[in-house]
Amino acid sequence: MTTLEPIPAGKFQAGDFKSDLKPIWCPGCGDFGVVTAITRALAAIGRPPHEIAFISGIGCSSRIPGYTNAYGFNTVHGRSLPIAQGIKLANPELLVLVASGDGDGFSIGGGHVPHVIRRNIDLTYIVMDNQIYGLTKGQLSPTSRRGRKTVSSSFGSLEEPVNPLLYVMGYGASFVAQGTPADMAGLARIIEEGIRFPGFAFINVQSPCVTYGDEEQQLKAQKTRMQSLESIGHDPTDPAKAIERAREYVTKLYTGILYRNPNPPPTYGQGVTERQEFLKKQAVPRHKILNRFMPDIPI
Amino acid sequence: MIIGIAGAGGDGVISAGESLITAAALEGYHGIMTKSFGSQIRGGEASCRLRLATQPVLNPNGPLDVAVVLNWEDFRRFGWELPVESATIVIYESNTGVAPDNLPLEGVTPTVVFSVPITAMAEKYAGTDKAKNIVVIGLLAGWFGIGRESMLEGIRKKFARKGAAVVEGNARAFQAGLEFAQAHPLEEDRKLTAPQSGREAKLLTDGNDMCAAAAIFAGCTFFAGYPITPSTEIMQFLDREIWKYGGTVLQAEDEIAGIGAVVGASFAGKKALTATSGPGMSLKTEMLGLASIAELPLVCVNVQRGGPSTGMPTKAEQSDLFQAAFSAHGDCLRPVLAPTSVGDMFGIIVEAFNLAEYYQTPVIVLSDQEISQRKEIVEPIDTSAFRVVERRRPTEAELAKYARFKLTESGISPISHPGMAGGNYLASGIEHNELGRPTASGEMHARMNEKRFRKFSPLQNRRDLFVVEGDPDAPIGLVSWGSVAGVAKEALRLARAEGLHAKLLVPKLLYPVAEQVYQDFFASVSRGLFIEQSFQGQLYRLVRMYVDLPALVKPFAKSGSNPIQPAEVLERLRKMVVALQGNRNHRQPDPVAD
Repeated sequence: MTTLEPIPAGKFQAGDFKSDLKPIWCPGCGDFGVVTAITRALAAIGRPPHEIAFISGIGCSSRIPGYTNAYGFNTVHGRSLPIAQGIKLANPELLVLVASGDGDGFSIGGGHVPHVIRRNIDLTYIVMDNQIYGLTKGQLSPTSRRGRKTVSSSFGSLEEPVNPLLYVMGYGASFVAQGTPADMAGLARIIEEGIRFPGFAFINVQSPCVTYGDEEQQLKAQKTRMQSLESIGHDPTDPAKAIERAREYVTKLYTGILYRNPNPPPTYGQGVTERQEFLKKQAVPRHKILNRFMPDIPI
Repeated sequence: MIIGIAGAGGDGVISAGESLITAAALEGYHGIMTKSFGSQIRGGEASCRLRLATQPVLNPNGPLDVAVVLNWEDFRRFGWELPVESATIVIYESNTGVAPDNLPLEGVTPTVVFSVPITAMAEKYAGTDKAKNIVVIGLLAGWFGIGRESMLEGIRKKFARKGAAVVEGNARAFQAGLEFAQAHPLEEDRKLTAPQSGREAKLLTDGNDMCAAAAIFAGCTFFAGYPITPSTEIMQFLDREIWKYGGTVLQAEDEIAGIGAVVGASFAGKKALTATSGPGMSLKTEMLGLASIAELPLVCVNVQRGGPSTGMPTKAEQSDLFQAAFSAHGDCLRPVLAPTSVGDMFGIIVEAFNLAEYYQTPVIVLSDQEISQRKEIVEPIDTSAFRVVERRRPTEAELAKYARFKLTESGISPISHPGMAGGNYLASGIEHNELGRPTASGEMHARMNEKRFRKFSPLQNRRDLFVVEGDPDAPIGLVSWGSVAGVAKEALRLARAEGLHAKLLVPKLLYPVAEQVYQDFFASVSRGLFIEQSFQGQLYRLVRMYVDLPALVKPFAKSGSNPIQPAEVLERLRKMVVALQGNRNHRQPDPVAD
């Protein structure tokens, strides 16, 4: 966020951003932890709830705006990014968060991702990646591993998974991070950093599905698997190194900031504001707009 | 007077037409110009038709009074769009090698034919064959008087920066055309008499530009869309203008993202527009459903072309009415409006934004390829006569216990937007209760559906969105909409001039069907026609879902790209009168019981 004021300490608590709606998620779902991390990050940011727009698509993860206190919009499957872009461009002052899942974000909605990246629209895109379709009860997702047996792949998946980290790096994303509710403090911190980043920020959250997920994806297993990028001395300003580590998406569970462009391109919103400022002198009053259709010379 | 010009790309066919209609606008004429091209992106054949008159021109159709042929092969490609009759004055390029008494036209032998060395004259006087269009303008000014006063001034201004030699060359080419015409006078003087009154500033534009300008007038500050023929010029105009008003244009990655961004901008509190054509409309429908259940205002313009699928992208058709009325799934109602001309587009777009904001709903505007791309001389529009409506926002008291989807008496609930303190709510495609919280309650779904339909009930009384012309108690009734309404109107006027007892209803609000308006109109009617440019006659069928029409009211429907001619409608009206008289006299069975 480029427009953030310095935070008055303690102005908001995480609880201020929680709604009183009871989640429909299965007990033990990773998404409970994601809500908590998001509300903690928002408290740290300190913007009041009415200046926040929280947009989602369809899926278990996309229920999240209902469980937070802000302006929420639970839209249609795969289209949270276009809608969020419209909101941000219409009112650049808003803090815009987008929640999605692996199916919503990288299958039905995958086509929108490159475009939000190349426009560098200043929003934070949190994908809860559980490698399965939970809401429709256990089908293959675009991030399911090859060979995975599900109700829609009785004999095992014949596809390689989409690699969300490599996908967004490939399109030139300037802020790429990964977290898990198994490391709540770390997750809240990268969400906060993503919100503060001036431009499009992508956060992949390895949020386990307790009902249809593999054993090795559960929080318990994650706690032993996960490896903090900071602890291994990863330099988040090095894009080649970030891509190298992104390639290990299937085998390793890195947490933290994978890539942060030290010289990010201008945001789309900045360009819009500059253009509006530059051109506003040329506006004829709206009620005289038709004068431009008065015929001039005939040739 | 109807003038048709055709030639190869680069012959200056379109620029000649545009010069003529601009001169006509400046001289106080009424007129419409349509353009038609081969499917090539550059080059290929091009044609235009100009219909000019001292009275308002209702449609561009009809056989040619004057045909200008720069190339016979290209001219013949536009056969049915440029119909030649024996009375048509034919002016053609001599170097085509065709003999005046042996024109390559089938089944018709025009009597007045001029073979003119157009290219040779351009080369001789202007030093380049690029001045062919200037020679053509000179010829038409000479024979028909259009632009005699203003063309030379136009040439001087346009070519001024190219130097005196170019100005003089083009002026000589124009003069040469003029003099050729004077040296070969018509037996009968066909010069148009320039109107004495009404010479004050008329407007000259096409439907797409008018649509975009009207959106700005209505307070639209957000457009997102995807290029698609024949709607793209709406985005292009707004991209040149909307920033000046603090607005934004987003060329989206696809049609879905286009309307998605518009839904988002509307949620954020802005008036927002998207525009497309049939295939794009198909992609947008899920978002229309979302905007309907989330009760978000937006305007979606569909510039109709021939369908289904890619169909006929550069030709007009009225075959997307069913799609507009029934676009997204679920029980839902979205108002559908249709302008009848370029001039009418202004008020329809303003109305569309007003309905969208007032009823918190997507509104679909059905334009068509003809209106969108035809150049029309438009009477001046007094913008102060148009009201601009804003969405109903919550008051302080309402915010104190805010319920976004409150079940009010009118069905309209005050709408907040992000940034408004105290107005936080969850918008959703999921069915919700008054607070916006997801629900699976059948009772709540029924109440919300009822609210979302009830709020539109005042639309049944919007008689100002219907035009009725003719004898109120006539037994013959016509109904027509969109660009075809101009054809029906001309047919009605011709019929009434013959003493036929008929009337016409032009709905600009197509959906919801205003049942009482149709019932009142058809109360005196025993025979009639729905005149439509679609194979099925979609308005006829849509109205019949809601209104019991007299049995002998039928569709007169043609697939797109087959212009309906006022003369053929008139012929049907005459037959209906004969049949009515026959029935009255108990003489013979009905000859047109179809």
